Formats: sequence, C-alpha cells, structure tokens
Amino acid sequence: MSNNVSLGTLFKNGVFGENPVFRLALSLCPAVAVTSGVYNGFLMGIAVLFVMTMTNVTVSLLRNFINPKVRIPSYVFITATWVTVIDLVMSAYQRGMYKQMGLYIQLIVAFAIILSRAEMFASKNKLLPSFVDGVGMGAGFTLSLMLLGFFREILGKGSIWGIDILHAKPLLIAIMPTGGFFAMGLVMGGLNFLDRRFFGGTGASSGGH
Amino acid sequence: MKDMFKITMPLVAIFVVAGVIMVLTYQQTYPVRFQAEKTEKEEALKEMAPDATDPIKPAGTWAVNNKPYEYYQATASGKPVASIAETAGKGYSSYIKMLVSLGSDMKIKDVKVLDMNETPGLGDQVLEKGFLDQFKGKALSQIVLIKGETKENIQAVSGATYSSRGVTNGVKDAVQMLVEKYGAGVTAAAQEVTK
Repeated sequence: MSNNVSLGTLFKNGVFGENPVFRLALSLCPAVAVTSGVYNGFLMGIAVLFVMTMTNVTVSLLRNFINPKVRIPSYVFITATWVTVIDLVMSAYQRGMYKQMGLYIQLIVAFAIILSRAEMFASKNKLLPSFVDGVGMGAGFTLSLMLLGFFREILGKGSIWGIDILHAKPLLIAIMPTGGFFAMGLVMGGLNFLDRRFFGGTGASSGGH
Repeated sequence: MKDMFKITMPLVAIFVVAGVIMVLTYQQTYPVRFQAEKTEKEEALKEMAPDATDPIKPAGTWAVNNKPYEYYQATASGKPVASIAETAGKGYSSYIKMLVSLGSDMKIKDVKVLDMNETPGLGDQVLEKGFLDQFKGKALSQIVLIKGETKENIQAVSGATYSSRGVTNGVKDAVQMLVEKYGAGVTAAAQEVTK
C-alpha cells in the first residue's frame, strides 16, 4: 500500500478487503472466545479499536527511531503500555464501563492483529494513514465479532444483544467454545461464497499477505 | 560492540519512557480508583440491607479459601436487622467475590457478586438475576446446587456449572459462618419445634 491511497479506501480496506477476522484470519482466538453474544463482541471490538489506533499512531511516529532488529519487542511494549494506560484510566474514571470491559482489555496485549498492523502498516506509513488503518481495522474487527456473536447468540441463547427474542435455546452448543469454531468456519465460508458469487472475489486467499 | 549499543539503546529508551508513562498514569488514577471502590463498597453494603437505618459497621473478619474477609452487622435504631458477609468461591477461572446478607431469621436476603474473572459469555451467566435470585429466602440446608429443575434448591446455569458451583459454595460458607455466629436463637427455636 503506497501513500497515495485515499483515506476512505484505507478505511474500507480494514472493514472489507482485509477484514482482520474473515480475510486476514488473525486474532481468531479472541474472535472465538468472546463472541458468545453480540454485546460481548461489540465491547471487545471497541477495546481493540482503541488500542490498535493508539499503537498504530505511536509506532508510526517512532518508525524511524525503532531499530528494525528489535522492532517486535518495541511494538509489543508499545501495545502493552497503551493497554495498561487505558485499563488504569478506565478503572478510575469510567467504573461502569470498566466493569463490563475490564475482562477484555488486558487480553488485548497479545492480539496478533495489533502486532500485525504495527508491522505491516504503521511501521511503513505516515501518521494519518496509520491512524485511519487502525480505526478501519478496528471497525472491521468489531463488525466481524458482532456478526459471529449474532449467529452464536441467536442460536445458543435465543436472544440478540441480551434481549430475548426466540424464548428458547435452539442450539446450546453454539455458545460453547466448540460452537465458536463451527460458527467461525461457517460464517467465513458463507462470506467467501457470497464474495465469489456476487463480487467476483477469490475468497479469503485474496487477503494480500 | 558498537552495533549492540545502537540496537539496544532505542529499545531501552522505549522501555524507560513507557515505564514512566505507566507509573505516572498509575499515580494519577490510584486515588480516584481507591475512592471510587470505597464508595462502591459502601453503596453495595447499603443495598444488601435496605432496611438498615444506622451506618453498617464491620463486625469482624473470617477466612474462606485461606483468605481473610470481613463481615458486617446492619442495624435499624440499634436493633440488628441483617448480617452481611464478604465471601468468595472458586469458580472456573477465578475466585468469585460476593456479598451475602442474612436476615435475622437466618434466611438469605440477597446475594451480590462483587468481582470475578469467569469466561465471558459462559461463566459470567451466573451474574444474571435469574440465577442469583434463587438464593433469596433460602436457609442454610437448602443451599445445594442441582443440575436440573429445582425450586427447593439452587439450579445451576447450563454452560456455567463450575461458576455456579463457585457462587453456591461461597454463599454456603458465608451463611454457615453467619448462622454459627448469630443464629444461636433461631437454631435453638427450630430444634424446639422439631422436638
């Protein structure tokens, strides 16, 4: 990706073209672990969006300072710093939100998608594109998690966003870890099918790297 | 040698700056968080015994899972109305910290989860009202976890058996402790009746 790509295209790339979960197939572990409901997926996605944007911006600013030989520890440390700062600030000033999201925030340090965006994008691009890439990828991640959460919650709990709709639990396994793998595979396959059929894409292998 | 220095210096610089940022954030946020947690605790205690008019006072400490917890006495114009205990039970991936309040009839008034780290989407279902409300009005002998329909005992949440067990064990330990401490009159009366 060169610098003359428009910011809108960059954002869209994060949501669709290189969707972190369904295209790059990164950070599948949290994508399976927390998507037992739409709301959980949403919270996790927003937390990732924040950390990823901050990390991208920092890495982009420091890209000429970080020695390529030790870039990975540098990126991890930058991510860890932002995660800690957000965790501390939120636990002090946003208690209500922290009680919902606190569980997820600390997990983010180890997410492949954040390290991958620092390495693939932010370390090679200027501040603004890196910022947009972080927001776009974060939005793509959030939407993917919500989509997975939607299928798993409606099947496993009969509800959406915690609101009971079916008044029954048609397929309890959907919210179990096993169901996460099934849902992931089926949704990814479904999206690939739609992409091939209607948009002429080549499926997940067109991810780019 | 020179190379080594060139490679590690920026890394060390990042570590130091990041460390300083984290320390400063911690210093800034610690007092606010400490205060917020204190107020939350007071509010939680008040919620556990809404009929208490006097400030709820700590009555002592007890131990569960080898960790010390506090218990409290709630009074209304000098008369005891409820006893509240902090307690914890081992769930699937964490100790589930709770408050349990017991009326003067030694039956559970309320159970509230303060802190836990159970699996999101599975274990954290024990937080839902439906599960916790089952404890209300139950006596010590009724606090038994059942995997299936029950009105008399506590029904486990499907998909969250370990977490349900953690909550139930924590509550049971607390109730047992409170009954031993305060329930002398009630147990004696109950034994009179059964005789």
